[in-house]
Amino acid sequence: MESLEYKQDGKSTAAVLYGCVCVFFLVTAGIQPAVGDSISALSVPEGLSEEKIRLGDKLFHDPRFSSDNSTSCATCHNLKLGGVDNAYRSIGVGGRQGVINSPTVYNLELQLSYFWDGRAASLEEQISGPIHNPLEMRSSWEQVIGKLREDNVLLEEFEATYSDGIKQENIADAIAEFERSLVTVDSPFDKWLNGDAAALTDAQLRGYRLFQSYGCIACHQGKNVGGNMYATMGEMGDYFKSRGGEITSADLGRFNVTGVESDRHVFKVPSLRLAKKTAPYFHDGSVPSLREAISIMGRYQLGRDIPPDEIALIEGFIGALAGQHPRIEAAPE
Amino acid sequence: MRIAGIKSILLVVVAILVVISAYFYIQDKHLRVHSDMAILLAQLQELDTRIDRDVLRISSFQLDQYDSLVETNKEVLVALGKLKNGGLGDKEDGVLQAEIQKYDRAVELKMALVERIKSRISVIKNSLRYIPILLEKLEKLDDVYAAEGARVFNYLLQYEKFKGRVARSDLDAMVKSFASREVESGVQQIGENLTVHFNAVLSGYDRISELYQVINDAGTREHFEELYFRHSSLQEKEVINSRRSSLIFLVVIVFLLMGLWIMLSRLDKARHLAEQSSTRLHDAVASLPEAFALFDADNRLVLSNEHFMEFYPWLRGKQRDGLTLDSFYEENAQHLMGFSLSGEKLSLEDLNTMGGSYYIEHRGNERWYLASNNETEEGGMVCLRSDITEAKKAEADLRKLSRALEQSPASVVITDTEGTIEYVNPKFEQASGYSAAEAIGQNPRMLKGGERSEEDYEELWQTLSEGKEWRGLFHNKRKDGSMYWESASISPIRGNSGEITHYVGVKEDVTERKKAEEQLRMNATVFDTTAEGIMVTDPTGRIKTVNAAFTKITGYEAEEVVGRTPKVLSSGRHDEKFYEDMWKALTQYGNWSGEIWDRRKDGTVYPEWLSIAAIRNDRGEINEYVAIFSDITQRKQSEEQILYQANYDVLTGLPNRTLLMDRLVQTILSARRDDWTFGLMFVDLDRFKIVNDSFGHVTGDELLQAVAERLKGTVRDVDTVARFGGDEFVVLVHGITVADDAMVVANKIIHAISEPFELDNRSVNIGASVGITLFPWDVSDQENIMEVANTLLSNADMAMYQAKSSGRSRYRFFQSSMQEQIKEHLALEQDLRRALENDEFYLEYQPIHEAYEGEIVAVEALLRWQHPERGIIMPGEFISLAEETGLIGPIGEWVFFNACRQVSEWHQREELFTRLTLNLSTRQRGLGFNSAKLARILGETGLPATALTLEITENLLLEESSEAIDWLNSFKDCGIKLSIDDFGTGYSSLGYLKRFPVDTLKIDRSFVMGLPDDTGDASLVTAIAAMADSLGIDIVAEGVETEAQWRFLRDIGCDHMQGYYFSKPVSPEEIERVYGRESKVAEPVSTSDQA
Repeated sequence: MESLEYKQDGKSTAAVLYGCVCVFFLVTAGIQPAVGDSISALSVPEGLSEEKIRLGDKLFHDPRFSSDNSTSCATCHNLKLGGVDNAYRSIGVGGRQGVINSPTVYNLELQLSYFWDGRAASLEEQISGPIHNPLEMRSSWEQVIGKLREDNVLLEEFEATYSDGIKQENIADAIAEFERSLVTVDSPFDKWLNGDAAALTDAQLRGYRLFQSYGCIACHQGKNVGGNMYATMGEMGDYFKSRGGEITSADLGRFNVTGVESDRHVFKVPSLRLAKKTAPYFHDGSVPSLREAISIMGRYQLGRDIPPDEIALIEGFIGALAGQHPRIEAAPE
Repeated sequence: MRIAGIKSILLVVVAILVVISAYFYIQDKHLRVHSDMAILLAQLQELDTRIDRDVLRISSFQLDQYDSLVETNKEVLVALGKLKNGGLGDKEDGVLQAEIQKYDRAVELKMALVERIKSRISVIKNSLRYIPILLEKLEKLDDVYAAEGARVFNYLLQYEKFKGRVARSDLDAMVKSFASREVESGVQQIGENLTVHFNAVLSGYDRISELYQVINDAGTREHFEELYFRHSSLQEKEVINSRRSSLIFLVVIVFLLMGLWIMLSRLDKARHLAEQSSTRLHDAVASLPEAFALFDADNRLVLSNEHFMEFYPWLRGKQRDGLTLDSFYEENAQHLMGFSLSGEKLSLEDLNTMGGSYYIEHRGNERWYLASNNETEEGGMVCLRSDITEAKKAEADLRKLSRALEQSPASVVITDTEGTIEYVNPKFEQASGYSAAEAIGQNPRMLKGGERSEEDYEELWQTLSEGKEWRGLFHNKRKDGSMYWESASISPIRGNSGEITHYVGVKEDVTERKKAEEQLRMNATVFDTTAEGIMVTDPTGRIKTVNAAFTKITGYEAEEVVGRTPKVLSSGRHDEKFYEDMWKALTQYGNWSGEIWDRRKDGTVYPEWLSIAAIRNDRGEINEYVAIFSDITQRKQSEEQILYQANYDVLTGLPNRTLLMDRLVQTILSARRDDWTFGLMFVDLDRFKIVNDSFGHVTGDELLQAVAERLKGTVRDVDTVARFGGDEFVVLVHGITVADDAMVVANKIIHAISEPFELDNRSVNIGASVGITLFPWDVSDQENIMEVANTLLSNADMAMYQAKSSGRSRYRFFQSSMQEQIKEHLALEQDLRRALENDEFYLEYQPIHEAYEGEIVAVEALLRWQHPERGIIMPGEFISLAEETGLIGPIGEWVFFNACRQVSEWHQREELFTRLTLNLSTRQRGLGFNSAKLARILGETGLPATALTLEITENLLLEESSEAIDWLNSFKDCGIKLSIDDFGTGYSSLGYLKRFPVDTLKIDRSFVMGLPDDTGDASLVTAIAAMADSLGIDIVAEGVETEAQWRFLRDIGCDHMQGYYFSKPVSPEEIERVYGRESKVAEPVSTSDQA
């Protein structure tokens, strides 16, 4: 504890530095000295209903959720591609372009909330969003339920799973249950966390250190490496100004939900688990490469410029976060 | 009573149980609601504490990942949801709901603030991580400056960790002084960066303390306490309420118990009363004059009196053993018989089903009981019996008398002294039509028919009041208004003291007798006045009587014939057998009728229609014969007239078709039998129609009469000349042995008819065509007579047509080939009808070339018929047939559509751009083909109208009808071109070329054939070309086969040519191959060697 005392003689900067670092580590690592604890390994979810998952899977791929039977959940959240469509903006019913980039549907359980602006508190609540969005499915629960009730096979499956058959709550429940099953496990990083020292390459390990030391980990933490808090886009600089273009209502972020001025440009911190696969990046899908995204994050969130070689290392580390799920296509390396 | 009592008691007991269980249920429910709420509140409090703890951990940098916060967050949301919507607590209580609202808002605010703190802390953390790195960099450049930075950093950390030890103002000053220090530019950049992060940390600290403040101000704890307090006070209130309701429940139960006690005591009283009344009942039953027994619901005897045992002595002693209703019935069945009141015998089963109605029991010792068994309310049975033996005996006596009255064949009426009817018997009802019910109470005058006067009735009453019997005749009226005669006898009935109490009338219907008398009178009148002669004989045939008409017809008076036989009348025209048959029919069937010739007294013979009937007596023996006859001389004559009209033609007096057929059949029969031959000629007048149309029917009729006369003059009397219809005659010539004989007769006929006729001062020339058929050569042997006759007629008819079509005034013999031709014609027609369906048609195309360059400019579509048996048939063989039958309509449309489609397809594929030429038949106009249809075909196939030429024959132009011109013009209006086919072969007139919308002439192949050597053809074709040129009409030469022809035609200015020199008609594929896009040359392909 002595080191906390600032030595007035001022001769030894090294000592001062030492003291600072000690304090820093005490402060940052605090009572939890193990650094690995900021990120935890994902595990296969338990206690889910196989029956509901099967039904939810079917509904997730059912285009009858859209007004013209063209668009299903899976249209924009392609499970093979990592739960996204890799498009700058998603295309909904009648070829209409949406206003925001599609987020992934993998690893949703521990998300703080849903949508970029976190306007849905639960998965079940979130499902209503795209159905009613005129640029996405342009439909309504009434319409969707009407169509599904004409399907005798589906009716039977619902009867078998829910005592009260096809209704909004049950449809949402089945889809949510299916989504809860979409967890990517056994990523190289998770294996490393679980003690397999050989699971990460040296470069990835160095990337991880940089990820920590640059402070990325302050926000991208937890099992999902993000997704459990909000942050202002452009904390240390005006992102939108340098991005250019008009400020759209989607750019306002959580302000749209709370109406509080300090929530302007505040978004949910996205999970980095599948970041490698889910280009383009940010809510506006404006950045096509992960390296550029890391660079922008460094500048506007951390207030520093990360040199390219380190960006590459961090990118390598982020790649090691992606786990496996039978529905994801093996990445064409 | 007792059962009802027990029911009420049970009801009260159930009510008590219900009230008690309701009490427990309600208590339990209250308890559960409150405990749920309490658990929820405890959970919320625990979660709130967790949030507070997490906030503390976050802001002291002790939490590196927020997953647990997310979980807490979600649990809070679920718990709040339950609180708001879960139906816990008192929904009615506004204060509680308001508290819940307030608490919910506070918690949500708190969670939002926590999120802000999370964001903020991340920023601070980021800076705190970065500052040491920057300091390290700085140290390498300027360690003094770095040391100052480190100090600031140190203070920054201490400021956060140990608030109060470092003043905020000092810290701000330190940062400021660090920032304002003048250093070299490389160092300065790092310094600025450090300053940014120092400030970020500082403002982060500020923001966090502000957020803390807001969190504290949100006051979740205070709101929770208020909520908790409200909940507790509500609970307390509930407890008080529940105590109150417990009290109410208790009071209700006490009341119910009291009710129960009262009911029990009432029931006891009721039992006492019941016992008392039972004793009284026993006394009453014992004193009844009737026999009485009561069985309970289990059919056991419970009560009976002494009479009951007297009535049924065999039951004595049994009641001790518990007599049941069933054994009572069974015992009785052995000793007595049951009857219904109407006297039907009853079985044991009937007794069980007849309910409470009365019936009679008859005991062997001549005793009768009136019995009834009535079910009691509780399901038992009351049996009552009274002795009616005396009444039964009196009734039996009366019944005997009444039976006599009811069966009497005479009507019987009994009235009182005033004449009011008291009784009528069934015969009266039957005779008068009034039922007993209607008659009783009335006066017998209701039957009065009006033929009796008041005096008559006076006399009747006078006689009766003197106590005498009256007899007489009434003419009465029935209920339905019909009249009838009755002979009546009315006499008084006297009472015990000798006074008249009633009158009884006995009447007999004598209407039938009266009627029979009248019938007899009427029959006698008919017999005397009828126009038909009637004769009655006895079984031996001797005349018993005759009527006046007999005398009138035969001339014999009655006295002249009575006692003699009808032979007197015999004409002698009928043989013995005729009369034998007649008698046979009479004895066998009882009657005979037929035509017979008789002789009058004056000797004349006349035909009569005679009906004889045998009249039998009761034993079936013949008593007499009645013969009725009428003179039918008149009818006979008119029948003959009709027969003549049926067989002869009225106009000419010749045998008509009917008689001809008759004679023909006779002749065939005779010729077959006697093996001779004859000829049948069908004569049809030439130009008769013109005469008829020009000079009128009267002249026409005269002409026919004259023709008939001449025809008769050409044959012998034995031959038959018949008018077959209109201007057709048939001549049946006997004794034709060789064809030459027939030829001679035919020539005679033709000659005779060809001579001018002088009619109405006018000389008229006509001719005759004759068809001849010969028997037996022209028919087969086995055919039946009618078939042979018809075959001969149709043979002659066919031959006549053949004669007619070969020119007028000729004769032709029938040849079997004519038949073949017709058969073949018919067969082809059948096939043609199916050809379209069977898809047997296909098209070939013959190109039309430009004369100089030899380029293809058009193709003519030509129809081919792939007949399944006969192979390919060319249009020449079937088009006229198709036109005749109207099949040209669908076939034409098929051709149009398919050809247009083919050429259009070439256009669209850019394979070949050529015009299309199609042949249009005149008949298609009548079959509904018009410009609209053409336009539709063009539209459907996509062929432009300007690429189509329709070829018509000259004949169409010859019609010159305005309809035909309009028809052609309408096609022109579509934009197509018109061409005249086979130009030069018809009645070519240059005039029509001006009047018709013609674009092209097609020079017929027959003119081209002789080119260039035949000078006639050469000059004709040259003239056509020149003329066409002057009229601005294009020409096409068809049938061009040699190079010489081509050169000649080219030189005289014929622009387009078609023929084997260029190409024969070929399949569309061949056209494509030779002229299509891929083909190299469009040179004329000489096929003249094949042609």
